[in-house]
Amino acid sequence: MAQTIAHVAPEEAHEHHAHHPELSFFNKYIWSEDHKTIGMQYLFASLFFLLIGGLLAMGVRFQLAFPNVPVPLIGHLLPSWLVTPEGAIQPAGYNGLFTMHATVMVFLVIMPLLIGVFGNFLIPLKIGAPDMAFPWFNALSFWLFLLSGIVILSSFFVPSGFPASGWTSYAPLSSHANYNGTQWGQSLWCVGLFINGLASIAGAMNYITTIINMRAPGMTMFRLPLPVWALFITAFLLLLAVPVLSAAAALLFFDLNFGTTFFASSNYGQPLLWQHLFWFFGHPEVYIMMLPAMGLVSEIIAVNSRKPVFGYKAMVWAMGAIAFLGFIVWGHHMFVSGMNLLLSATFSFSTMLIAVPSAIKTFNWMGTVWGGSVRYTTAMCFALAFVSMFVIGGLSGIYMAATPVDIFIHHTYFIVAHIHYVLFGGSLFGVFGGIYFWFPKMFGRMMNEFWGKVHFALAFIFFNCTFFPMHNLGLNGMMRRIADPTQYDHLRSQQPVNVFISISAFMLGLSTIPFLINFFYSMFKGPKAPKNPWQSTTLEWTVPSPPGHGNFEKTPTVYHGPYEYSVPGVDLDYLPQDQPAPETARIEAH
Amino acid sequence: MKWFKNRWVFLAVTLLFFLGLSLSAHAAPRTSNLWWVPDVASAHGKQIDQLMYFIYYLTGGVFVLTQVVYIYFLVKYRSRKGIKAIYSHGNNRLEFVWTIIPTLIFLGLWGYSNHLWLNVIHTDPPEDAMEIGTLAYQFGFSFQYPGPSGKLGRSDPKLISNENIFGNDPSDPLTKQNFQSGVLELPVNKPIQIRLNSRDVIHAFYIPEFRVYQDIIPGRTINWVWFIPTKIGSYQLACNQLCGSGHYNMKAQVQVVSQQDFDKWYKEKVAPPANNPAPPARTK
Repeated sequence: MAQTIAHVAPEEAHEHHAHHPELSFFNKYIWSEDHKTIGMQYLFASLFFLLIGGLLAMGVRFQLAFPNVPVPLIGHLLPSWLVTPEGAIQPAGYNGLFTMHATVMVFLVIMPLLIGVFGNFLIPLKIGAPDMAFPWFNALSFWLFLLSGIVILSSFFVPSGFPASGWTSYAPLSSHANYNGTQWGQSLWCVGLFINGLASIAGAMNYITTIINMRAPGMTMFRLPLPVWALFITAFLLLLAVPVLSAAAALLFFDLNFGTTFFASSNYGQPLLWQHLFWFFGHPEVYIMMLPAMGLVSEIIAVNSRKPVFGYKAMVWAMGAIAFLGFIVWGHHMFVSGMNLLLSATFSFSTMLIAVPSAIKTFNWMGTVWGGSVRYTTAMCFALAFVSMFVIGGLSGIYMAATPVDIFIHHTYFIVAHIHYVLFGGSLFGVFGGIYFWFPKMFGRMMNEFWGKVHFALAFIFFNCTFFPMHNLGLNGMMRRIADPTQYDHLRSQQPVNVFISISAFMLGLSTIPFLINFFYSMFKGPKAPKNPWQSTTLEWTVPSPPGHGNFEKTPTVYHGPYEYSVPGVDLDYLPQDQPAPETARIEAH
Repeated sequence: MKWFKNRWVFLAVTLLFFLGLSLSAHAAPRTSNLWWVPDVASAHGKQIDQLMYFIYYLTGGVFVLTQVVYIYFLVKYRSRKGIKAIYSHGNNRLEFVWTIIPTLIFLGLWGYSNHLWLNVIHTDPPEDAMEIGTLAYQFGFSFQYPGPSGKLGRSDPKLISNENIFGNDPSDPLTKQNFQSGVLELPVNKPIQIRLNSRDVIHAFYIPEFRVYQDIIPGRTINWVWFIPTKIGSYQLACNQLCGSGHYNMKAQVQVVSQQDFDKWYKEKVAPPANNPAPPARTK
């Protein structure tokens, strides 16, 4: 993987930055402390994990549509804990598939794509800094992340295979080997998440320090581009939430291997303790995976609407409110778990409140488009789709926030639809938009717009065909995490819907192919990218594509806010942050 | 430019298609049960459905409204030669309005749903409610019915063993009359209180037609679930909390019958006391 990023090295870097010593191959591409290279390392690693997580999902969907049918082509190659001798997925193996699908997608795909890739690549470039505050920790963070991925995925090769108690790993199923039957896999899961947590903490500390200390002159907090604000707030969430998961994973490991009883139902243990610890991390985690995407999308929409972000400060405050409220809503995952009923009422209240800042953000995105001059680039298409998908995911969340309705649809496919509208239609569409938008800056070449739009159209259509009908399945009472819905009377009539969803899911999987081809082809053969292909105002577009080592030839000075588009009295329809406004410009305060 | 226009028309059509899908699904005859909730078969389930419909129309309305405005903006404000975007950083009055209105709506919704939660669903069960014990284990359910008093007597999850699977307290005479069943047989229109215990991991008590769901926690007794079945018929109780390799098939038959049929079944059951097969012993 390290070799594939060789071409990232910009020739001009050394012309401009003669004072930087020539680095050895090892220090340039493997243990690199350059934030851009680390961002690329995260990008390639997490795209690789995206393929793995996607393939696991294909396995899940195959089983649900065609239970007990041998997996075509590869069935006989799969290990015996996963498939029957005939090659059909068996129920225990199915549990492993969806457990690993979610674990991989959450910890090895969405988090690193949003935070590892865009956090590392964009923060120093956008605030006018030469690198991160702690480059060494930054490199450490990536390699810990990669190690965590290897540890988690290595469970494929151990006896009894993947952990199989869900990505939520509720105790005591997860904490007793004789209940779950996957002691090795579950132990690796704990160790992997612990290492992953260390990577997140190292990264978060770095982002916070960098943003507070290393902003260019004139870059006040309220002149920060929204992706930087989003990542700043996210870093606080990571710093406060992830240690709780790490601690919980360590306790689970002890329960599982050393006979402690933290989460046991006897000997003073408490199964609900695991759920409280997990969701105290797990709900901020939802926003950890959402806020950076919101930041990226806000910027892509502003640039491509040629307008300032509508209500910039409201956007910042809304993210702050989401982050704060995000810490006091975890109990809404536990309305039916046996928690005190009055407590449920309280968590329902805070959950209703957290919908307000989400609504504010949606209205502001619509306000940004209003009166704009909208350019439909591929990045913009993904960003615009993000808003609509986020609206669906947000509105379906209201069903679960109302405790009585939650009783009925909790743990059904309704919630599977909800989470995928937020994480796939939301976060992942945001990531795709971000990749199409910043690709020229990352690799110095343009991606193909036509194939980008093919990718968008296929992803958008098949995403909705896959996940929208899941709402209906859930309303019909289809439980999640069951290997064979045809075992139930009330679900047998639903099987055609499951088949439709699975075929759409396979098509959704295939829709990644034009993206991957476009991505790798453009990296080598795409047309050379100019400094500022999108006529954007923020600082990363004032340096060459790709930027050299050290980023800025001389530290830029910032004169105004990040989104001064279509300012009256300025000839061009954008006013870069590092250029003083001409006398004629009539800049409004925001 | 024309190509862009068509694309957004296409997007609008797609969105309307999905919306139509859910609306027409709502209008479809319930007997098909392919797209909408199964017919409700419990007393409080009707109120849950009312709240759900309220949220459905609320969110549906918000969705249509926002998407229509959004798509209108996207078409109207597409980039055109010679037309510059409007320069605006926002509008504080608008921000205020679209903060206050959702806040009020969400607070109202919370009031409505919380009233239902505390005052309807989780009130104390009526005095004459029949208690039924449910034991969940990897991977099945067993039920325990009370004697003529309708009450199960004291139990303690610490007493659960292979011999005493429901953890009955032998010092309470009421427990002596209890008997066991593999089927959840219920008389129609009678309040039923369920006492939930688990022998190993967390399971769940989920009957979609009754709009009932509760996790079953090992080491604890949960006794706040109660409901009144209102429709004669057979249903399935499903475990809805991942509990291991056999989770996908962990279920039990639920029979709602008339009072006469129930009395008949009950008499037959009481006559030869507790000759039902116990669940397989726990292997450790």
